[in-house]
Amino acid sequence: MRPSQIVLLVLLALFAIYIFRLRSTSGDRVTYLGLAAIGVALILNPEFTNRVAARLGVGRGADLMFYFFIIFALFHFATTAATIRRMQRDLTRLAQALALATPRTPSPKNG
Amino acid sequence: MASSVNPADQLVRRATWIVIAAYQEARTIGTVVARLVDDHWHVVVVDDGSEDDTAACALAAGAWVLRHAVNVGQGAALATGFVYASRDPAMRFVVTFDADGQHDPSAVPRLIAPLASDTADVTLGSRFLEPDGLGSIPASRKVLLRLATRLARWTTGLKLTDTHNGMRGFRCDVLSRLVLQQDRMAHASEIQAEVARLRLRYQEVPVRVSYTPYSLSKGQGLIDAVSVLWDLLIAKTR
Repeated sequence: MRPSQIVLLVLLALFAIYIFRLRSTSGDRVTYLGLAAIGVALILNPEFTNRVAARLGVGRGADLMFYFFIIFALFHFATTAATIRRMQRDLTRLAQALALATPRTPSPKNG
Repeated sequence: MASSVNPADQLVRRATWIVIAAYQEARTIGTVVARLVDDHWHVVVVDDGSEDDTAACALAAGAWVLRHAVNVGQGAALATGFVYASRDPAMRFVVTFDADGQHDPSAVPRLIAPLASDTADVTLGSRFLEPDGLGSIPASRKVLLRLATRLARWTTGLKLTDTHNGMRGFRCDVLSRLVLQQDRMAHASEIQAEVARLRLRYQEVPVRVSYTPYSLSKGQGLIDAVSVLWDLLIAKTR
């Protein structure tokens, strides 16, 4: 096993542990563990990505991984942005409900 | 000292809520509220999560005060004020007013008159209808406002001369029909879009705006204009 493979495997293991603790829904856990398992397989068999890339007409396996990474990053960006918007809207509703539940009225001389 | 008001005007005042959205306006909000309260208006200030004494100053000056725990935007603050005003069964009109002291309280009755006579559902203040309303506006701001007006005319089809004026009047029956989702500054354009969508009767009313270095620093610049456009584009594509 090459040193680079050991480093990548260790990083992937740490990522898997992190996901397992952070993500509570079992669906998320299965998805991410599945991705991690694919990662392990690809790290141990670097030639595999080269073969797939050649079939898809992409050239090198590293290029294929890079394209996958870009697609994944864009997808992640879009879902994160949507989540932030939803949270912002919820925060607004919460601030409004709280404000309306606790109005402060001026002293009687003005009423 | 409070000035005297004739009985007819008193009725209008009982039926009107002035809604002010305020964020970090402790310097001016007290004076703004006091001038309106002295004129016998009911004022509700929505403090949009200020970290200064905005809420305390507004309360001391005689306003009803609602406080957003965090800053969520002027559009949301106005919406909160509208909901609060709607709880008053006597409410027939709502007027929005700026917190920075650039609006003149004497314009409030002019905004209500077309609503009270049932010739308009919504009244919109315009700086460009007032003969000397333009005089004090800096040239750069004038250009920005003209561009915003062009854009609003093009997108909504409303024939307006001033599209980003904080002084507006609403009849109570249209308030509940307005769907305002823009939390931040794009609400100005959104209100116009709603007026167009609901085919509300609207009328522009000349108002004077006095620009001070303070109000200019709080006003909307070019960067804000870009972010408003962005908000609206996002909303269109959602």
